[in-house]
Amino acid sequence: MKSFEWVDAKSVEQAAALLAATSAREPVVAKAGGMDLLDLMKEGIVQPSRVVNLKSIRSLDDIQLDRSGMQLGALVTLARIERDAGLRSHYRALAEAAGHAATPQVRNAATIGGNLLQRPRCWYFRNEHFHQVAKADHSEHQHHAIFDNQQTVMVHASTLATPLLAYDASVHLTLGHGSSRTVLLKDFLLPPAMERDRDTLIADGEILTDVRVPAIQANTRCAYHKQTERDSYDWPICDVAVVLQMNGAVVANAKIVLGWVAPTPRRAVDAEEILVGREIDEQSAIEAAAAAVQAATPLAKNAYKVDVLRAVVKRTILAAR
Amino acid sequence: MSVATHHPLADSSDSIGPEPRPLSLLVNGKVCTALADPATTLVEFLRDALGLTGTKIGCDRGACSACTVWIDGEVAASCMTLAFDARAHSITTIEGLAPDGQLHSVQRAFIEHDALQCGFCTPGMVMSCAHLVNKNPDCTLDDVKAAISGHLCRCGTYPNIFKATLAAAAEARADESGGSK
Amino acid sequence: MSNTGSFEQRSLQAGIVGETMTPVTRKMPGTDPPAWPTNAELHVVGKDVPRMDALDKVTGRARYTFDVQLPGMLYARAINSTVPHARIKSIDTSLVERYPGVRAVHVLERLTMAAQLRDPGAEANEPYPVIRFTGQPIAAVAAISARAAEAAAQLIRIEYEPLPHVTELDQAMQTNAPAVFPGPTEQASSAGGGGAPRGLPQKGNLRGPSKSGSHGDIGRGFRDADVVVEGEYRTQVQTHTPLEAHGIVADWRDDELTLYASTQHVFSVREEAAEIFELPQEKIRVISDYTGGGFGAKYGVGNYGTLAIHLSRKAGAPVRLVLDRREEHVSVGNRPSSLQRLKIGAKRDGTLTAIELHSFGSGGVAAGAGVGSCHHNMYPCPNVSIEHYDVFTNAGPCAAFRGPGQTQGIFAFEQAIDAVAARLQMDPVALRNKIDTRDADDVRARAAERRIGAEKFGWSRRSAPGSDSGPIKRGMGMAQSMWPYIVNGYTTCEVRISGDGAVDAFCGTQDIGTGTRTVFAQVVAEELGLQPEAIDVHVGDTRFPPGPPSGGSRVTSSLTPAARNAAYAAARDIANRVAPLLSAKGEELVFRGGRIEKRDDPAVSLGFAEALRRAGVESLVHRADRRDDYEGYAHKAGDLHISPHAIGGVQFAEVSVDTETGVVKVERVLAVHDCGRPINPKLVESQILGGVIQGVSYALYEDRRLDAATGVQLNANIDQYKMVGSRETPQIEVHVIELLGRQSSTDARGVAEPANVATAAAIANAFFNATGKRIYTLPMTPANVLAALRSEQP
Repeated sequence: MKSFEWVDAKSVEQAAALLAATSAREPVVAKAGGMDLLDLMKEGIVQPSRVVNLKSIRSLDDIQLDRSGMQLGALVTLARIERDAGLRSHYRALAEAAGHAATPQVRNAATIGGNLLQRPRCWYFRNEHFHQVAKADHSEHQHHAIFDNQQTVMVHASTLATPLLAYDASVHLTLGHGSSRTVLLKDFLLPPAMERDRDTLIADGEILTDVRVPAIQANTRCAYHKQTERDSYDWPICDVAVVLQMNGAVVANAKIVLGWVAPTPRRAVDAEEILVGREIDEQSAIEAAAAAVQAATPLAKNAYKVDVLRAVVKRTILAAR
Repeated sequence: MSVATHHPLADSSDSIGPEPRPLSLLVNGKVCTALADPATTLVEFLRDALGLTGTKIGCDRGACSACTVWIDGEVAASCMTLAFDARAHSITTIEGLAPDGQLHSVQRAFIEHDALQCGFCTPGMVMSCAHLVNKNPDCTLDDVKAAISGHLCRCGTYPNIFKATLAAAAEARADESGGSK
Repeated sequence: MSNTGSFEQRSLQAGIVGETMTPVTRKMPGTDPPAWPTNAELHVVGKDVPRMDALDKVTGRARYTFDVQLPGMLYARAINSTVPHARIKSIDTSLVERYPGVRAVHVLERLTMAAQLRDPGAEANEPYPVIRFTGQPIAAVAAISARAAEAAAQLIRIEYEPLPHVTELDQAMQTNAPAVFPGPTEQASSAGGGGAPRGLPQKGNLRGPSKSGSHGDIGRGFRDADVVVEGEYRTQVQTHTPLEAHGIVADWRDDELTLYASTQHVFSVREEAAEIFELPQEKIRVISDYTGGGFGAKYGVGNYGTLAIHLSRKAGAPVRLVLDRREEHVSVGNRPSSLQRLKIGAKRDGTLTAIELHSFGSGGVAAGAGVGSCHHNMYPCPNVSIEHYDVFTNAGPCAAFRGPGQTQGIFAFEQAIDAVAARLQMDPVALRNKIDTRDADDVRARAAERRIGAEKFGWSRRSAPGSDSGPIKRGMGMAQSMWPYIVNGYTTCEVRISGDGAVDAFCGTQDIGTGTRTVFAQVVAEELGLQPEAIDVHVGDTRFPPGPPSGGSRVTSSLTPAARNAAYAAARDIANRVAPLLSAKGEELVFRGGRIEKRDDPAVSLGFAEALRRAGVESLVHRADRRDDYEGYAHKAGDLHISPHAIGGVQFAEVSVDTETGVVKVERVLAVHDCGRPINPKLVESQILGGVIQGVSYALYEDRRLDAATGVQLNANIDQYKMVGSRETPQIEVHVIELLGRQSSTDARGVAEPANVATAAAIANAFFNATGKRIYTLPMTPANVLAALRSEQP
């Protein structure tokens, strides 16, 4: 890892100004928990001239939960999301996703902001060889996308994004001099690309300051499942978040989001429609799961993911019952 | 070594590096100072600058947890922590777990239950298991598995680590109830 | 070592303790101590003595090569190939040399580990070793900091002339495949084993066949068969992934070379360094206090060690070269892949009539990808036909890996035997009772192990294949292990006793985490009537007497008899000196509980230290060699001696298979094993736990993935190269029998490898019992499992 200049940002404005000065020759990057950034720097994929430390900014690590919803500061760690009792009681799928991410050590350091902004875990992307020596053909794509995989087969790495999308979350971005914007997470995440330096809409000089999640309606049930080969610590084959708004025993509204199967987490709209107006039982779950995978276009080595996803969608719907 | 020019926007007092400069960290209760550049990871600082070689590096990517230390009493991957991020925090390494030669109950239990073979993962394992027992003496087998779910032991000592940690936890519970009498 | 001196016949009780012991007569050196009784009658041996080095390990004080920090030490960084196959036209190191802080640069002249051309002329004009795999070491740089070395390494300029390459076994087997080597090759074995038979034909990338083990008439064997089972099995490449990567600190000064090495054999490091650098062995000292895992890959100096030594010589300073995780995965060894077409014929009663194997294995640029010896020497069968081919690919070289060959072989072979049982509607345990009938210790051991295991495991509760309804299906399976009982002939131990009662024991062999220090101390302590903590054990240094490599499950079998004999000689020496003080004869004195006492009158005694002082002993030194086994060997090649008896082991596994997600879980394993006399049952258990866990890891997760276009290993890390973690660890029960074979003065054998070789097969057989489908392909990932479940093949 090459050395760099380090600046402890004192405010969001100062950090934004520093980041706005980035250039191809002298990249300036932001650092929160540093998990993804260190990985990229150690691989030689990112070589910043200057790193702006966001952890020195106060007030970016609050969890605010009230009747209007929840606001999570960008520096809130995955460990806190996993353990915060209030958060868990309202947004269980999010707490579950945080608790199943990475290792205990990493969860203590990794932040929600960094988690959403992280680069793909694709093993071509993560190898400097495919940035500096050869082009990636992604022929070993067993962990890659089974939907929407014509442009890219890489999948977005954030597993927190899966439940956050099911909760209709947005991210709040601040651009120095007082201007800011709120972007729906579904619009914020972009299909990963080897050549770009980010997989989101965030602009140079913008700071992701917080994640906003609308309030949960009464009679809402949710579930999350991350399917892995191993339980100890593993990247997903797929992950699924289900948020069901119930009207008695009948589903009034459903959100089903599928992670790690498409370039960005994918709403299973067809599956949602099947559930609306019905009770949740084995039959409706099976039908919805079949609908969820219907548009899959698996590659030569990842057809198994279709089967796995079908089973996980069914099981996660039933778990939300 | 990158030779980044100085950005005009940075107040020079806030800016560190890229050249090495003295860094003081609170390690095992003592303030330790050595030269480090901003790219120095905490484990490099501990091992190379301070000579605390008990903390190991297995993967250097936070995936094997051999480098586990405590930061403010919580487990951390020191290979994925920049040394400058440890400023104003308290670091505990395997060398600081039994400073007066009085072994932690987890260390004693590891010896008794042969919870180690080659021993390279052991310091990290001990730090995670000692953390668990300190925080939750009522821990279950599943808790032990969760606590070391990010650790790799290639020799396969897991079953004995489970036994040792649960034994240390039982001892901690006995000490507690004994102390309250 | 030579076995000169007088021999005598002694009558002994041999067999399995608690089962049947029978009288045997053994011819042994007259200087050997009397046979030990059973463990129950010993004081230190056979007891769960805590590891001698556990304290150093739990406190972080244990110093690994990784931790060696010498004054003025430089940090080295290797420069590796970025292409899979190429001629190197030129290398320009001038920018590297000029980088601030750089002290030395060296370009490798010759590549070791890989197969060598039989006729080196084909590449005689190459200025540099031809590149045959991505990641092949080319050069290294030493600098004052790791950061400087890393930055400098980037500045090398290498001009490649690319050659066509092939990374996949199936493609490499085609006649029109790019040739990895321009001509036939040879592969010498290393201290860790491996190697390939000399002089075999080679066409393209196919080297072979080796027909070793074939006998009888295979056609007739199948004609005689009532049932024939056939299958094509595939196993993946597994990398060793020791937690401490390969590393060396080389310190060359004034023509004396000191090497701190993370190694499984300090003497192999010395030998290879002496050969490469043309130094007399006595000018080289190799030290290995602690080694963070090896599993077969850590022998010799290797390419990286060679680079470090060159750099140290050039820079005139110690140089530390430790591999990063990627280099560790890619270029210093792996378990080769295999493709095994296996056909077995049997009579209706289970008797085997024919075993036919066509196997292909790729160890990348190294040969030695055989699949073990189980096909021809585990179960008697009159007609065996074996044809094995090594297939070269543009991938990193293989190396010995825990149960080399046998682990791959048993995975297929014990599944095929299971398939015979299923076809004959016989219980798999009953079939083994019928066919596991050779006259050898391991056969008798396995018979007991099957009986004990079946009962402990609840084998009788096993249901018919695929009986569970619902998506998650459970099943039980079993498989047998066999591993040669190996002795390293060139093993010497020294016991030094000072007048103050201090006891030091020396052997150059190393303790890589198997517990060598501890069993060494136990054996010496037993003979001297002391506690093991009283013995100061010294290992891991070529200045000490020669000792075995920590590989082939041969340390305990080689070391402990020499250790006991040295301690016994010391004890007899002391007894003779102390006897006058106790008005006794030397032979009347015994060593017990820290005292030297008269056998028939324990009241007549002296404390150990006091006795030495009063006898005026200043110091005593006794050495003993590992003498040949009392029954001799079936095979002897240099230091490698192989007994006619083997080591057995039987494992039982219970798995659950999620037929919707393809996720397999190993719920529990029962491992019943023999290792001769267990010197330290606790450490034996630890070894077996490790063997089983690595076996589960191999069966379910591990899989080196190469990108075909570039030869890059995509998962050369710890998160995507998947291994068993805490939550994948099954509930494992270990049962060890005490087998007194009466071939040496301690009866001890190893266990590391037999504990590993049967696991994948036991799991695969449990998979069949759970689902009614065979899993022919490892690892049992969701992709492979779902494919197997949907296959038409049973």
